[in-house]
Amino acid sequence: MTRYAELQTLSNFSFLQGASHPWELVLTAAALGLEAIGLTDRNSLAGVVRAWSALRDLPPSDHRLRVLTGCRLDLNDGSPSLLCYPTDREAYGRLTRLLTLGQRRTVKGQCQITREDVLAHAEGQLFLVVPPPRLDETFRRDLEHLQGELRGSVWLAAARAYGARDLQRLSQLAALATSTRVPMVAVGDVLYHRPDRRPLQDVVTCIREGCTLEAAGLRLQAHAERHLKSPAEMARLFARFPGVVERSTEIAQRIGFDLSDLKYEYPGEPVPEGKTAMGHLTDLTWEGAAWRFPKGIRPQDARKIEHELDLIERCQFPNYFLTVHDIVRWARDQDILCQGRGSAANSLVCFCLGITSVDPTRKNHDLLFSRFISEQRGEPPDIDVDFEHERREEVMQYIYRRYGRERAAIVATVIHYRPKMAIRQVGKVLGLTEDVTGALAGMVWGYGGSSLPEEHIRQAGMDPDNPDIHRAVTLASELLGFPRHLSQHVGGFVLTRRRLDETVPIGNAVMKDRTFIMWDKDDIDALGLMKVDVLALGMLTALKRGLDMIPPEDGRKITDIAEIPPEQPEVYDMLCRADSVGVFQVESRAQMSMLPRLKPREFYDLVIEVAIVRPGPIQGNMVHPYLRRRSGQEPVNFPRPSLPHPQDELEQILKKTLGVPLFQEQAMRIAIEGAQFSDNDADGLRRAMATFRNHGSVNRYKDRFLSGMIERGYEEAFAQDCYSQIEGFGSYGFPESHAISFALLVYASAWMKWRWPDAFCAALINSQPMGFYSPAQLVRDAREHGVEVRPADLMASDWDCTLEDRPGHRLRAMRLGLRQIKGLSEAEARALIQARNEGAKSLEALARTPGLTRRSLELLAEADALAGLGYGRREALWAVKGLDLRTGTETPLISGARGKEIQVQLPLMSLPVQVREDYRTTRLSLKAHPCSFFRPHLTSLGTVTAASLADLKNGRRTGVAGLVLNRQRPSTANGVVFMTLEDETGASNIVIWKDVFTANRRTVMGASILAVHGQLQNVEGVVHLVAQRFTDLSHMTARLQDETSGPGPDRLQPSRDFH
Amino acid sequence: MRRIHDLDEAALALGLFAGQKVADAMALVPDLHLADAEPEADDRALAALVDWCVRFSPAVAPAPPDGLFLDISGVDHLWGDEPGLMQDFGHRLKTNGLGVRLAIADTPGAAWALARFGPDEVIASPGEQARALAPLPPESLRLDPADTAQIRRLGIHRLDQIMDLPRAPLTRRFGIGVLTRLDQALGRSREALTYRRPPSPWFARLALAEPVSTLSDLERITTDVTARLCARLETSGQGARRFELTFHRVDGRPESLSLGLAAAARDPVRIARLFHPRLETIDPGFGIEVVTLRGEAVETITGRQIGLEAGRTHAPEDGLVPLLDRLTNRLGPERVWRSTPVDSHVPERSVRPGPVLSRTATRSWDPLQPRPLRLFRSPEPVEGVIALTPDDPPRQFRWRGQVHRVRHAEGPERIGEEWWRGPIETVSVSHVRDYYRLEDEAGARFWIFRAGLYDPAVAARWWMHGLFS
Repeated sequence: MTRYAELQTLSNFSFLQGASHPWELVLTAAALGLEAIGLTDRNSLAGVVRAWSALRDLPPSDHRLRVLTGCRLDLNDGSPSLLCYPTDREAYGRLTRLLTLGQRRTVKGQCQITREDVLAHAEGQLFLVVPPPRLDETFRRDLEHLQGELRGSVWLAAARAYGARDLQRLSQLAALATSTRVPMVAVGDVLYHRPDRRPLQDVVTCIREGCTLEAAGLRLQAHAERHLKSPAEMARLFARFPGVVERSTEIAQRIGFDLSDLKYEYPGEPVPEGKTAMGHLTDLTWEGAAWRFPKGIRPQDARKIEHELDLIERCQFPNYFLTVHDIVRWARDQDILCQGRGSAANSLVCFCLGITSVDPTRKNHDLLFSRFISEQRGEPPDIDVDFEHERREEVMQYIYRRYGRERAAIVATVIHYRPKMAIRQVGKVLGLTEDVTGALAGMVWGYGGSSLPEEHIRQAGMDPDNPDIHRAVTLASELLGFPRHLSQHVGGFVLTRRRLDETVPIGNAVMKDRTFIMWDKDDIDALGLMKVDVLALGMLTALKRGLDMIPPEDGRKITDIAEIPPEQPEVYDMLCRADSVGVFQVESRAQMSMLPRLKPREFYDLVIEVAIVRPGPIQGNMVHPYLRRRSGQEPVNFPRPSLPHPQDELEQILKKTLGVPLFQEQAMRIAIEGAQFSDNDADGLRRAMATFRNHGSVNRYKDRFLSGMIERGYEEAFAQDCYSQIEGFGSYGFPESHAISFALLVYASAWMKWRWPDAFCAALINSQPMGFYSPAQLVRDAREHGVEVRPADLMASDWDCTLEDRPGHRLRAMRLGLRQIKGLSEAEARALIQARNEGAKSLEALARTPGLTRRSLELLAEADALAGLGYGRREALWAVKGLDLRTGTETPLISGARGKEIQVQLPLMSLPVQVREDYRTTRLSLKAHPCSFFRPHLTSLGTVTAASLADLKNGRRTGVAGLVLNRQRPSTANGVVFMTLEDETGASNIVIWKDVFTANRRTVMGASILAVHGQLQNVEGVVHLVAQRFTDLSHMTARLQDETSGPGPDRLQPSRDFH
Repeated sequence: MRRIHDLDEAALALGLFAGQKVADAMALVPDLHLADAEPEADDRALAALVDWCVRFSPAVAPAPPDGLFLDISGVDHLWGDEPGLMQDFGHRLKTNGLGVRLAIADTPGAAWALARFGPDEVIASPGEQARALAPLPPESLRLDPADTAQIRRLGIHRLDQIMDLPRAPLTRRFGIGVLTRLDQALGRSREALTYRRPPSPWFARLALAEPVSTLSDLERITTDVTARLCARLETSGQGARRFELTFHRVDGRPESLSLGLAAAARDPVRIARLFHPRLETIDPGFGIEVVTLRGEAVETITGRQIGLEAGRTHAPEDGLVPLLDRLTNRLGPERVWRSTPVDSHVPERSVRPGPVLSRTATRSWDPLQPRPLRLFRSPEPVEGVIALTPDDPPRQFRWRGQVHRVRHAEGPERIGEEWWRGPIETVSVSHVRDYYRLEDEAGARFWIFRAGLYDPAVAARWWMHGLFS
């Protein structure tokens, strides 16, 4: 039996060249009985971890495969390419330094290496020379030179190309090998794992070359032979050259390096003199405990801390915690709001260290610390910290300063092909017109998904059976999930003790002075390297801004989320009314309709609220059972296994969610307890779901899960539900600890909305863009909560929204900022504000502001923001246009000689036009709602106001009209479209069933003002109108005009839509 | 991002509008029919329309993208009066499928405004421009849309409001443009239009004193008219690649011959000679009284063309070109071609008939992929093949009844199907051809292929696809 190791393989991490995933190559290599497989992507190690972990997930008994870590070095000095395999850890470090050097020299995605560079890093590497198409004298000299420099560790790679003159070429290579004493070794020169990937390889080649298949010609491969081959087939192909196939295994045996050698390299933290890292961490924790629990800590909690510290010490993680603590402490010192999320919320130590804000000693928080750190898993904990969106950059710069570019870098994000891009690019290659591919691509938008269902193709007006469409869809589906390029992760840092560039290659990002490593966070996880996610959360920015604006509570200024008064019943009252516009996470339409049904009364209810309105529980059919049990309509019972298994095993897991699995932790524990998975298997299952979505091993887990549960005596339907929920988590994972962190922000923002709606609204608008609602809706909501809102005015506003005192009122008035004016330059606006603050009191004086353009003044005039100077809108524009702006002088302004000019009488602007102009310039109007002008007409159409809908009985036929605020078609809703209308009294929610939508598509999608008639659903405080009939009233905007004017703008406000 | 450039009435009726994103429009009307905007083609079409309008007035000026000015001073009496002219003009355009809006006014500016924003087919009485324009919107002044929008924002929605504004403050705010356009429309200042100049056609005409009909006379007048046109081409450094020779018979029936050349030319003798053999086909009837020659595909020729008679040495092309022209005009253009390589792995697609004379450098054949000098149009079956499985070269085969023993062999060269030509379900990795280059004992060389991968269950089929020298 011949033995063979494949040493020349491109995976799809050689973007648009290789046509198989690393795991596909590894599984196939194992099945073919290869001795080893080495991934040799071009100047890249991006795919090696995936290949390595794919092998790790295989049962060892099934194969004798090894995965070798290497890469193909394409040199840019004309030298032949080299396949490079490091033999040990130090040689590997030299290879990553070489790749780092090559990448840092040039732009993102490129690498520049010369033969000299290679020779400088050659110690401990094995090289295979890839011969060029033409074997000339230059190549002979190259070989001789390499042999001289790399004596004993260089081979000549020979592949059978199935060309016309293969034997002649192989004989030439053999002769070269003999004469230069560079031994010849057989390679497969593999581009894909199986021959049937040839079409896809042709497609990616065309995408790379930017051509169609028809025009690609010789740029394509002639045949499908570039696949992995069995040892026997390799022996047959090289029968005339004895020994060259076996030689591959001799090379493989010389490679001692394995990626597992990279583990456990944490950065050391500076520790005060005379202390160990563990001692320092222990001291910091108890100091923190005194800060978090000023009234003293309960004995059981103290024991918990001791237990955690003990585990941290045994796992040798103290430096890790010190590192995260250091980052968080620095941020707090800079007054940057932050909060840990994820499984760190399970840790009391993290709470004491200030990493998290969730108090794990609170009721119902019996979270498992072992979920966070497990001795068996031996993996470092995963701590993600959210920082204020706008100040995260400062934190990142601090990390760079503290650890240096040598030891800290951002991880990569692998950008994968998504349906839209896949169908567009494949369609183009196949010669479909942009309109066809555009229509196909348009239909799959928002389906996040992994396939292109036929139904969507029909929706796009195409025939899925048409051969051209079918070909495009088939290939695009195959392309889904392929990596397309590496990009910089938003905030995942990897930190190491030794030089980072000796662990992983580092390359330039597009952004100047930014670098990121070649691996993504899953790779880092798989290898067990240390990672800290420095994330940005817009709500933290908003909360910080809000906290800065509110006066002290009970004489105490609130500076941290943990200081917000907990469990105020009025906050829960407000949430039970679904009065949650602007509140973190629970402001969406779906959350709003859940709140009155779930009726949260305490913090843990918010945790459930956050977790339940997610695709996971929805797809797993968990929502309605939970609600029924909560409202007492259904008894709470726990599925039991058959005897003699412990009868309460699921009750322990599911008690706090009334027997319905809602959290990822619960699903995992069901897998462990109910389906008898080991901790590692359960973790593997989670990982398989979350990251390697097309991985074949997912199905293996599914069968084991189902059979494990059924064997233990659970009903198959229950097992299926549990499994589909895990499946849902795969894409949209929401563990309990995560939900707890988010629920804290829900409470904090809800509290601020209830207690200080003035500050809340101003903070949200100043943090735009964020959240679900536009400033117009936030302003309407604030006014409904008793906040007086004042218009943006150059004489009163800052750039941001501000609060102005209102004598006699607890709440202050909110003054809109100039930021609300569309298109206004921030720099010029700030310069004008400064001029005003320095005493400029006339248009002429303000016009003297240096750097000011007329455009900015015109925008202010058109937005009615010069009212404070005594100008009406039209007069302001007339005056601004008449100003003399002299250029080229030191002071680029000049006052207009207003007095000397003939006075012009401009027509008065009617209120409807004022409103229209408000919307055009600031996207909201404080003067009136457009619908108020049409009210008599709307009434004659048989519609009522949004506010009065809630007073009508369930089942009533009625109608409502308003501006279309948004249209949504959630992927979980089977084609149902949700629409929100707004009139002068408030917002109304419309539900459009799929067939009604299909029949009225154009009106629903196109109208900017709409009247909807249908049947009212008014259950448990949730009010929907189920649409039956639509009347497009978009033409009504034309009425918002002066008597003599022409056509008005088509839309007042753009709706936020799906496509 | 793609946007709608323009749309028809049906699309307008659906609520779509110019400037809308295509994606948005498709969301509203999924089966919307789209065609790419071709502004250059629109310009050409407008230019053609302008040319056509010369029959109404010699002074026509395009007003891109969608209009034109016709100066009808002194021509309307040909149609009786202005309404008569307008009616005839509109009728002719409409019967040709063009939607039009027409207006007649004293000034181009007023006519432009009225045609677009006034009632259709309106005629502003002389001196009444101001009254006709008064109710029109500011858009009718041909201003920058941003200015127009701001004028409206000031509450000014009619031209009479602008006319009433004091001129100095208006100019101060909107520049001189507003007043210039207003004055031009009202006739207070002149507007210079750029009228189209008809291109001088490459056309020569020879009127004969008395009708001719003998072949020698036809040859003579052909030579004369050719000389006349070529002299003009020579003067301007041009040459033509197509010529159309027309004999106008006494009875008014034209008889035409056309001539295509491989390269642009203006040598009168050569061109006339190419016509001469074909003059036999001309039926002169009762005689020819006028002969015309039109040159088409006119392009610049650099340098002097060397005549055939010249005794000097010249490049091979100089001799080849007239030969090719003669062959082409005798045998027909489809029968004279040159094979050019095509980048394709599939042998029968790797060659394509190309233009006889092509300036583009052609790729040379790759020696690593030898292709036979003679490639059969359709492969011929080969029998009795003896070869080791799965893919060793044949040792012996029979073709056209004769057995060949193979002395030397190369291959296989494996060539897969062009899978994108068939349904994706039928794509198979076994749809390949394995090509072998074989030399028999007599030294003859063959190009043979086996269709499909080796399959023990199916008898292999072999084909002869070509011969090497």
